[in-house]
Amino acid sequence: MNMAHNCIVVNLDRCTGCFGCEVACKMENDVALGQRWSKVFTVGPVGEYPDMTRYALPTMCQQCEDAPCVSVCPTGASYRDKDNVVLVNKEQCIGCKYCMMACPYGVRSWNEAEGCVEKCTLCGHLTSQGKQPACVKSCAAGARFYGDLDDPNSEVSKELAKYDEKDIHVLRDAGNKPATRYIMTEKIGTWYDRVEPRGGHQTAAYPVED
Amino acid sequence: MEIQWSLVLFTCLSGAGAWLLACAGLDAFRGLTKKATVPAIVVAIVLIVVGGLASATHLTHVDRIMAVLAHPAPGIFLEALLLGIDVIVAVVLLALVKREGSEAARKALGVAAVVMAVVFSYSCGSSYMMASQLAWNTVTLPLGYLGTAAATGTALWYVLCAALKEEAPALAFAAQETIAGGAAALVLALAFGVASGAALGAEALTFWVGVVLCGGVVPAACGFAGMKKPESALQLAVVAAAGAFIGSVAFRVLMWLASVTLMSLFGVTI
Repeated sequence: MNMAHNCIVVNLDRCTGCFGCEVACKMENDVALGQRWSKVFTVGPVGEYPDMTRYALPTMCQQCEDAPCVSVCPTGASYRDKDNVVLVNKEQCIGCKYCMMACPYGVRSWNEAEGCVEKCTLCGHLTSQGKQPACVKSCAAGARFYGDLDDPNSEVSKELAKYDEKDIHVLRDAGNKPATRYIMTEKIGTWYDRVEPRGGHQTAAYPVED
Repeated sequence: MEIQWSLVLFTCLSGAGAWLLACAGLDAFRGLTKKATVPAIVVAIVLIVVGGLASATHLTHVDRIMAVLAHPAPGIFLEALLLGIDVIVAVVLLALVKREGSEAARKALGVAAVVMAVVFSYSCGSSYMMASQLAWNTVTLPLGYLGTAAATGTALWYVLCAALKEEAPALAFAAQETIAGGAAALVLALAFGVASGAALGAEALTFWVGVVLCGGVVPAACGFAGMKKPESALQLAVVAAAGAFIGSVAFRVLMWLASVTLMSLFGVTI
């Protein structure tokens, strides 16, 4: 089995929070009105002047190494493909929504019309033809990268290699080992690994105090 | 999170059925009842099956349910497997009781019924233990499922014994079982309330009135009262069963309402 770790890397130092990736994802994958496979948050502003933080946080399936959505799925509808990408086989989904409960980040969507769970596919229909995922291709700021974390020559590895370890972040890890990396240096502010939207569907998010 | 009534009813009804079967199985050792065992096993089978059917209404593609068998994993597969085994235990025990089979065989099935009640009701709750759900990821959740199911099942057994006018020793033992069930619900639900934070959170009223008072205190108190006033056994047993069922529903409703997710970035809840 190819044990690649394909994922998205987002350089938050470059991200302008334009929502272009979110729109491109919806257009490319025909995501239903009100649903998203990709969502950009505006985190903050938080802190005390002059130490304020406010940054854009694009989110999507984090392609967890130990994906709880895969292990809880009773039918195998949530699975890893030959390239190690976490996907949903909608033909096998019984609509129990167990994977939605198990996802630590709540980044799975419910397709009401089909009665199935959906999520980011890393645009497998494009990457299998050597193209970039729609969100990466459309990123006006050049902040998004796609590739194999284990391949030093991949776009993601080359971008990550430019930064110190302290500037490379992941969303809060509950033992699921998210693959998606976020690059954010101190010039942007303080990284928060656990945030919540202010309201149900809003794009404003704030750090959660533990 | 939204209350998933299909799943609430599933574990309430099937759990109660499993514990009612356990009480009938336990009677194989005591031999106190004359009339309640057969109706109890039949009611238990009905509750377990109806509960299972209720869970199926949660699914949007029941037509694909057989795929579960091809992918054995904890959670739904384990619950379905245990549910099926419990029905088989019940049917075999029923056949043994009806045909007056050997005492040893009935005792063996009685032990199986008690073990299945513990394992099944615990497993229904353990399916929800996941790192993404901060309030659920505690062993006190499945223990609470176990305790509240035990309270309902034992109280139902008490109702059947009283309604069928079993003799005083059988009624007294059924009352003791109801006390034990109520105490289990009380202690284990309290543990969950403290561990999850639900006892002091926004759903505190549901917890203290619905779960603790109705689900734990009422059945235990009715059991105590029934031991002192056997002539009021039926009324007390009905109140105990009603309280235990309300408590069992309230506990599961509380679980959904008091959920705290690690992150809910898309704001989509089930």
